[in-house]
Amino acid sequence: MSYARRALAVAWKDLAVERRSKETLNALVFFSLLLLFVFQFTLGGDRERLAAVLPGVLWLGFVLSALLALGRTFLVEREHDCWEGLLLAPGDKSAIYLGKLAGNLALMLVVEALVLGLFVVFFDIDLGRALPGLLVVVLLGTLGLAAVGTLFAAMTANVRARELLFPVLLLPVQVPVLLATVKATEALLLGEPLGAVGHWVKLLLAADVIYVVVSLLTFDVVLEA
Amino acid sequence: MPDHWSFVAAAYGLTAAVLLIYWRRLATKEREVEASKRLNAERSREPSITGHPRSEPASRTPLQQNQRPGAPLP
Amino acid sequence: MVKTLGWLTAAALAAGLVMAFGVAPREVTQGNVQRIMYVHVPLILASYVAFVVLAVASLVYLVRRDPAADGVAHASGEVGVMFVGLGIATGSIWGKPTWGTWWTWDARLTSVAILFVMYLGYLLLRGTIDDPERAARYCAVLGIVAALDIPLVHFSVYWWRTLHQPPSLMKPGGFTGSSSILWPLLVNLLAFILLYVYFVARRARLLRAQAEAIA
Repeated sequence: MSYARRALAVAWKDLAVERRSKETLNALVFFSLLLLFVFQFTLGGDRERLAAVLPGVLWLGFVLSALLALGRTFLVEREHDCWEGLLLAPGDKSAIYLGKLAGNLALMLVVEALVLGLFVVFFDIDLGRALPGLLVVVLLGTLGLAAVGTLFAAMTANVRARELLFPVLLLPVQVPVLLATVKATEALLLGEPLGAVGHWVKLLLAADVIYVVVSLLTFDVVLEA
Repeated sequence: MPDHWSFVAAAYGLTAAVLLIYWRRLATKEREVEASKRLNAERSREPSITGHPRSEPASRTPLQQNQRPGAPLP
Repeated sequence: MVKTLGWLTAAALAAGLVMAFGVAPREVTQGNVQRIMYVHVPLILASYVAFVVLAVASLVYLVRRDPAADGVAHASGEVGVMFVGLGIATGSIWGKPTWGTWWTWDARLTSVAILFVMYLGYLLLRGTIDDPERAARYCAVLGIVAALDIPLVHFSVYWWRTLHQPPSLMKPGGFTGSSSILWPLLVNLLAFILLYVYFVARRARLLRAQAEAIA
């Protein structure tokens, strides 16, 4: 099977499993609803304070959902004893990485769209002109989270205290992505054009390139038999 | 501005304490490893009771490693 | 060899201490509390050395799979985290009387805090994997990811804010402080780098011995 076909096969399998069971999607949707309610309870009354913290709160929601989604990346392989199958897979294992990355990206973007939609509706936000810029920032930021997250998920898959170790490893490394996305989102929601946050976008692009390239190069090492 | 010697003492003291503790832990662990190495060396010098060549320490099961040759199994 | 290094380090540290309190002057604005700088700055800089060595050793391990490289990475991680932790603590102790606060989220402090947590995670990863070969591999990958992340952390945090003193040692145009401040600082820097090398040499040797004892 060619490289691209193998990557697609992995992505397709994961998405098919997800579509049938909807386990992760359900968990993430309800989690997002919970976030929404809690933020409404604490900040709903004061519109100014809400507007000020909204970018951070939005990305907090995205990141917490990402942790849930990414942490479960190799859950199916672990639970059904398929881990050895991964290790013994022939050829370039980075194809598996790309497939997993694509699957995670798709899942995370769906959840983020949902969360964003809920926020817009329940907090009465006017996205308007900010939307295209916002989409760029969200896409780049999500790719950054997913790129390293998929690699770290593989590394922590069979480790003791996996649920604790995964966020501990991922979050410090992701601080640049979080900073860039929150600051860019903040500026965009205040009506700035995308050009005004050009430096943040460039940082996100650089981060994404670095993360994906390094992960592609080292994924084989992580999945060595 | 007053000199705040207590802060200076705290900073230097904390640094010295942590570094000393690390240094002592290194020394302790080194002694442990030395001791266990001497124990392994002694065991491998003893002749095997059956006359067979002794197996590699790594290939023995923990039960075999702890058991002295000739002693009855627990 | 390690023993000689140990004595040399002890001598350097002693010299540094003497210079920090004997040679360095009482600072004009801050008073004697400024003497904390003579441990704080060397600790932080030595930790940077540790993390660079960790990154290089990780790369060497991935290419050559030499356990010695992994030993150096492991030891470097331990000493680096210890030094940066002490650096943060001493900086905080220095900041309380001078800035009026134990902590502030300026660029330098934030970056160093992120560094600390990242490499603490490195040590945690080592601690949770039992198989030494797998631990070496995974930690090498993490070491490289962390090292590549450092410039990203630096720029993102720097663009976000600044309050810390402008770097005095590495400013273009050179150091503008007096030599009675520079020399104690340099001696202490040398002493802490020697201490780093000594600790790593001894720790790596211990790791080798522990691995042989199991085999």
